[in-house]
Amino acid sequence: MKLHINIHKERCKGCGICVEVCQTGVLVLSEKKNERDCNIPEVVAMDECINCRMCEMFCPDFAIWVTEEEEEAA
Amino acid sequence: MGKSVQKWGVPAKGHPAEPFLIQDSFPSVFCPGCGIGTVMHALIEAVREAGLDAQKIHIISGVGCTGKIPDIFGFRSQSSGQEKILDLVGRLEKEPGGSKRVALLNNADFFISGAEDFFMAARRGEDVVVVHINNFICAVSENGFFPMTPFIRRSVDGKFELPFNMPHLARSYGARYIARWTPLRAGWLKYSFLDVFPLKGFSYIEVISPCLIFNVSTGRIQDPVDRFQFYDMISEIRQDEPMENLDLRRGDKIYIGIFLDKTHKK
Repeated sequence: MKLHINIHKERCKGCGICVEVCQTGVLVLSEKKNERDCNIPEVVAMDECINCRMCEMFCPDFAIWVTEEEEEAA
Repeated sequence: MGKSVQKWGVPAKGHPAEPFLIQDSFPSVFCPGCGIGTVMHALIEAVREAGLDAQKIHIISGVGCTGKIPDIFGFRSQSSGQEKILDLVGRLEKEPGGSKRVALLNNADFFISGAEDFFMAARRGEDVVVVHINNFICAVSENGFFPMTPFIRRSVDGKFELPFNMPHLARSYGARYIARWTPLRAGWLKYSFLDVFPLKGFSYIEVISPCLIFNVSTGRIQDPVDRFQFYDMISEIRQDEPMENLDLRRGDKIYIGIFLDKTHKK
């Protein structure tokens, strides 16, 4: 099972709550900006994600969520 | 590319709460770091976890920021506008179908028009969940101080005024479930919603919500993350605290928890 963090860039308002509640440092608030000039979060250490879904729960704008993906058989 | 796994009956693509959102209204009108979004996420999670039909949840809201909720979330919802909000609840009782009514109120709905309806609805034991999103001010009237603002000198003669003790008030009028949380306790807020969904009667849940207008215009906490953390830092779970001590007169301590629970759980 492979985890994937989805970020909806247009919904994000750059409040940084997801970055703060992430306990394992998966996310950082990047310098990239969306069309409304808000700094959006960026995934830097996907391997550290433990699927706690705290970012998903506390995002006030429903802009970030975690999905599980089945790895394809080699 | 791997194949996405569908879980909890939600679409494989998109946010798990996507079926409850109105797509065209995003990004929402709320300020960055507003507590209302987290409260709504807790409500949506609770509805999904309880396995309730979304159409059985009837959201009622009034004026101001919480009045925007029906534009954003795809529940059956109604905004009372300038009408008295809990008066609307009384009229909805005649609807068939046995829907659960959740009234999302802010301070303006309580203290500009509607306080007497709150008392009457609680006294009659209306089957409604009142979620009081308390941001300490009336944000629509540009940082107007309110009966919920913690301990500030604002009387004409310079005397200190104490804020209302809403949990105590709700209990004295016969509420059956009283809780208070902050948005960073969204998980426990979800369990409070799960507690009150099967309960018949008047339930009152207060959410101390971080508000950008309150903090920035008064030169307090400028950063959304700091606001969230501040309310979490000064809150303390005290479920056995006497109801008389639950007002927010002290600026440095918020007592949170489930203060009254008549759900008769075994």
